[in-house]
Amino acid sequence: MTDITGTTGMTGIAAIEKEAMALPPAAVTAGGSLPKAAKPSRIGLYLTLPGQIVSVLVLVVPLLVALYMSFTDWTPTRGSLLAAQLVGIDNYSELLVWDTRFIYAVIRTLCLSVVCLSLEFAFGLGLAVLFLREFRGKSVLFSAFLTPMMILPVVVGYIFWMLFQSNGPVNQMLEFVLGPQHTVEWFRSAPFAVLAVIVTEVWHWTPLFFLILLSGLNSVPENPVRAAVILGASPRQVFWRVVMPMLKPVIIVAFVIRSMEIIKLFDEVFMLTRGGPGSSTETVSLYIYKLAFNDFQLAYGAAAAFLVLLGCLAMIHLLLTPVRDQLLAGGR
Amino acid sequence: MLTRKLSPLQMAIMAAALAVVLFPVFWILMTSIKPPTDWNASPAIWVPTKPTLVNFKTLFDPDALREYGVGGVSQSATKAVLGSLLASLVATALSVAIGLLAAIGISRYGNGSKATPLIILSGRMFPPAAIAVPFVIIFSSIGLTDSYVGLIAIYVAATLPFSTWMLKSFVDDLPREIEEAAMIDGLSRLRAHLTVTIPLIRGGLFATTMFIFILNWSEFMFALVLAYSNISTIPVQLAKYVTATAGTLYGVQAALAVLAMVPLVIVGYLIQSHLARGMTFGAIKQ
Repeated sequence: MTDITGTTGMTGIAAIEKEAMALPPAAVTAGGSLPKAAKPSRIGLYLTLPGQIVSVLVLVVPLLVALYMSFTDWTPTRGSLLAAQLVGIDNYSELLVWDTRFIYAVIRTLCLSVVCLSLEFAFGLGLAVLFLREFRGKSVLFSAFLTPMMILPVVVGYIFWMLFQSNGPVNQMLEFVLGPQHTVEWFRSAPFAVLAVIVTEVWHWTPLFFLILLSGLNSVPENPVRAAVILGASPRQVFWRVVMPMLKPVIIVAFVIRSMEIIKLFDEVFMLTRGGPGSSTETVSLYIYKLAFNDFQLAYGAAAAFLVLLGCLAMIHLLLTPVRDQLLAGGR
Repeated sequence: MLTRKLSPLQMAIMAAALAVVLFPVFWILMTSIKPPTDWNASPAIWVPTKPTLVNFKTLFDPDALREYGVGGVSQSATKAVLGSLLASLVATALSVAIGLLAAIGISRYGNGSKATPLIILSGRMFPPAAIAVPFVIIFSSIGLTDSYVGLIAIYVAATLPFSTWMLKSFVDDLPREIEEAAMIDGLSRLRAHLTVTIPLIRGGLFATTMFIFILNWSEFMFALVLAYSNISTIPVQLAKYVTATAGTLYGVQAALAVLAMVPLVIVGYLIQSHLARGMTFGAIKQ
């Protein structure tokens, strides 16, 4: 502990000197007596050490175990993992070539993501633009519109499961508007089950897009907008040609964050449909869960998980490239 | 930006959007106070004529429904509520404490290469279903399945990236010169952080704590695969109620759902202005 007393980092020296000019002499002497052996990096190491230990023990080690497992044919009935037979890339080739259920789950998750994120973006942007106007009760409405994203996913799934029951309020409203022959058994037909999942997901996460886009819109500098108006641009032109380009980093951040989450979509679907009817709403996460914890094909499930991770990494890398510095530097 | 007021059409759109946003919340609240006769009525009853709290009572005393002549739930939710509280509170405290140290370390001493944050982000992307598999295996070999210790360990690890990065963005906002002035005044580095840095970011610390609590309280899948009989959390109990009763005890299920969501909505409103920062790893500030 002694080597970290009263020392400052090299980067701070200039600032220290500036600071010292304005300070009484006593403080300057204190500052002047800094020991030369200061090792600013060591305290940084100590501070980050607990976090790194936790991450290694609870994330990296299990991941390595899973990686090893994915190259074996292990199932819980075979006893110790070490006794399992190595099968090379059999699990992976099986998944990519023969397992249509897995391939469909991947495609389904991607399609769901594209549809949901597009809708969330469109609704979120529309709402955010409305919130640029002045009106009464704005702050109350702002909070009200954020409510869905504050509710836990399991409960959101449960709520919509209730709403879409055959004698639930959604069917009641359909009956009222379109007549009794237009009610729908939401969870018995594949297209309607998918629609229910999309509605749930869009309801739940549009507020996040709204929140991010609104904070982006509010921080668009006024001068370029004013200049464009003075030069005779129409409001539409101003929005699409001036405001939107400046909003691009914020939009990408929103999409990256949401893609990372929606690829893992599990809780809501688990409560709504459990992947049914058949496997028409089965997401990748749900499929892996069923593989591992219903069918106990743990090794095979681990291989599926790694394939998904590789896909996610590649996708996020592409999405992230234009805004990496902003995101990783914490907006500094 | 250009027009100042809402046009009538825009007002109508806003009202419609508000109705869509609030209706599901209204429905679950109403269902939670419906007496058993109203649960499964057809056509569905929107606002119960005789609102009751019996559903909430049933959660803690499964026999409370007897007076309505309905068989209650087989399992009380007491354990799940206590379990959720225990796991979320302990995991949140640990995650924020470790994250705070790491945040100061990264922000002030530039430890860690450019790759570290990317690794942290990748950790978030990995589907929990995949991490759950090795956890169950490792935990069963060291006797941590079905225990709160195991669950809390996972929760801490899973939320650590969020707490570290969110806190780092708050520390970044604080000018270095303030701490450096304190160090010149003779304080050691650690004392300077303790007496200057941490008090100055207390608003951010509070927001981060609340945000991590939201994440832990909401977690479902790890609890689902680790909980057999000793431990339980509210989301797991809710899923159990829905399967075990083939989805007929709507009122009781809704009561548990309301119990799960009320704390989060309150906490969410409290830290509303920091939600964007938390959700985006501090990339977007408000």
